[in-house]
Amino acid sequence: MKVLSIALNTFRENLRDKLLYNLLIFALLMIGSSILISKLTLGDFDRLMIDIGLASINFFGVLIAIFIGIGLVSKEIDKKTIYTIVSKPVARYQFLLGKYLGLTMTLFVNTTVMVIGLVLVLSARNIPVDMLLFKAVALIFVEFMVITAVAMLFSTFTSTTLSAIFTLAVFVIGHLTPDLKTFGEKMDEVGRMMMDGLYYVLPNLERFNLKGQVIHHLEIANADLALIILYGLTYTAFVLFTAGVIFQRRDFR
Amino acid sequence: MAASLSLSGHHRIPPLVLSVLCGLVSVGLLISIWWMQSQLDQRQDRTLAQMDELAHLPKGDYLKPVLLGYHHLGADLLWLKLVQVIGKRQNSMNEYEWMAHALDVITTLDPHYAYAYYAGGVILGDLANRPDLANRLLERGHAANPTVWNIPFLLGYNYYFLLADPAKGAEYIMRAAVLPDRPAYLPGLATRLAAEAGKPETALAFLEARLQDTSDPEMKEFFANRMKEVMIERDIKQLEGAVELYRTAYGHPPTSLAALVDGRIVRDLPMEPFGGEYRIDRETGVVSSTTHPERLKTFFRRKKDPTYLYPRIEQPAYGFSKTW
Repeated sequence: MKVLSIALNTFRENLRDKLLYNLLIFALLMIGSSILISKLTLGDFDRLMIDIGLASINFFGVLIAIFIGIGLVSKEIDKKTIYTIVSKPVARYQFLLGKYLGLTMTLFVNTTVMVIGLVLVLSARNIPVDMLLFKAVALIFVEFMVITAVAMLFSTFTSTTLSAIFTLAVFVIGHLTPDLKTFGEKMDEVGRMMMDGLYYVLPNLERFNLKGQVIHHLEIANADLALIILYGLTYTAFVLFTAGVIFQRRDFR
Repeated sequence: MAASLSLSGHHRIPPLVLSVLCGLVSVGLLISIWWMQSQLDQRQDRTLAQMDELAHLPKGDYLKPVLLGYHHLGADLLWLKLVQVIGKRQNSMNEYEWMAHALDVITTLDPHYAYAYYAGGVILGDLANRPDLANRLLERGHAANPTVWNIPFLLGYNYYFLLADPAKGAEYIMRAAVLPDRPAYLPGLATRLAAEAGKPETALAFLEARLQDTSDPEMKEFFANRMKEVMIERDIKQLEGAVELYRTAYGHPPTSLAALVDGRIVRDLPMEPFGGEYRIDRETGVVSSTTHPERLKTFFRRKKDPTYLYPRIEQPAYGFSKTW
C-alpha cells in the first residue's frame, strides 16, 4: 500500500511536469510524416510508417526513462523532501520501489497512447496491423523498464548529471554488447573472461528490438518472447535490488 | 520580463513600444535567417550536396552498430534520400556508382529490404547500364531473401538482356519460377529461355519437376505440351548436328533424314512427339518439324548488341573518400 501511494504520487508529479506533452509531438510527427512520406518515397510505404512509428515510440520512451529516471531519487534529496518520507514508517526499499512503479506507470500510459495513435494512423492509411506490432511494443516497454531501473540505480549514489551520463552510456553499450563478446574472442584468456563478464552483466538491449521483425512479418516464437520478457524483468529486479542495497546504506546530508 | 523592466526603468520606454520593438527585432532576425539560408541554398547546388553526403556514407557494417537498434529507420531515411537523387532527370555515371554504394549501405542496414534490392537492380541495370553493379546487389539480395521471386527474376533478366547470357538467365528465371507468389507465366518463360540457350535437357528436367508438382489439369496439359515442344527443339538440335557430320563425311548434305541412318551417322530417327515427322530442307540442310515449323524461342529479338561496355568488377572499384 505504501509502495502504491508513493507510485501514484510519482505518477501525478509526472503529469504535473507536463510530461505527456511529448505525445503531442508524437502525434504531429506521425500525421506529418504520413502525409509527407507518401509523396517522397518509392514503394513500401507501409514499412516507412511502421518504422517511424515504432522508432519514435521507442525513442521518446527511452528519453523519458533516462531523464526522469535519474531525477526520481536525487530530486527528493536535493529538495530535502526525502526527510519527510524516511521519517515516516516507510522502508527505504518501499520508497524506491514506489518511485520506480510511478515512472513505469507514466511510461505505460505514454506508450499506450502512442500505440493507439500509431494504430489509428496506420488504419487511416489502410495499412494492416498484425499482432507482431503489439509484441514489439511490449518488448520496447520492457526495455523502458530496464533503463528506468538503471537510471534509478545511478541516481541512488551519484549526482543527476553523472547519472545521466552513466545511464546514456549503459543505453549505448546495451545495444552493442554482442560486440563485446566478439572483441573478447580475439583477446587472450584474461581479456576474454573480462569481456564475457561484461557481456553477461550489462543489459543486452538489442534483445528487446523487434522493430525489424514487424516490417518483415517475421514471426517470433512465443517461447522466445516469454524468455526475453523474463530476462528483462529479471534484469530489472537485479538492478532494483542493487539500488535498494545501496540506498539502504546511503547517508542523506 | 526582467530585461524589459530594467530597460523601461532606465530609459523610460513605454511597455507597448518595447514589445513592438522586441517583435520587430525578432521578425527582423527571422527574415535575415531565412534570407541567409536561401542564399546558401542558391550558392550550393543542393543535389550536389546530397550526392556528397552519399559519397561520404560510411560502410553499412560500420554504420549499423552506431544506429543503436534504429538501423531499420536508418535504412528508410537513406532510401528516402536516394529516391530524391534518382528523381533527377539525368544522372551521371559517378552518381550511379554512388547510388550503388548507398544501396549497398541500405541493404546492409536491413538485409531483408527486398524492395530496395529490386528497385536498385532496375536502376543500376536498366538506367545506369551497370549490370555488374546491379547483379552484385541482386545476388546479395537473393542470398538474404531466398523466397522473394522477383530478385532472381531480375537477375535472369539482366543476364539475358543486358549481359547476353541466356543460359545463366534461364537458370535464374527457373529459380524464380519455383518461389511463392510468382506470376503464372514464369515457368513457361524459363523453359523458353533454356531452350534458346541450347540446354533443352535443363528445360525438360524443370518441366518434369513442375509437372509432378502441379495438380491443376490445365497446367498439367500446358507443361506436357511444353515438354514436347522442348523435345522437338532437342531433336532438331541433334539432327542438325548429325547433318553437319554427314556433310563433313560425304561432302554434300543428305537428301533426306533417312539418309542419315543409311549413312550410319545416327542409329535411328527420333519420333516427333506430336505425331508429325521431321523434315530436312535439301538446299539449306535446315531440319524442321511438320507440326511445329516455328522453333521454340523467346519472342524477343535483340535490336542492338548488348550494351555492356564496362569491365566486370569483383571488388568495388569505386574509390570513396576515406575522410568521413
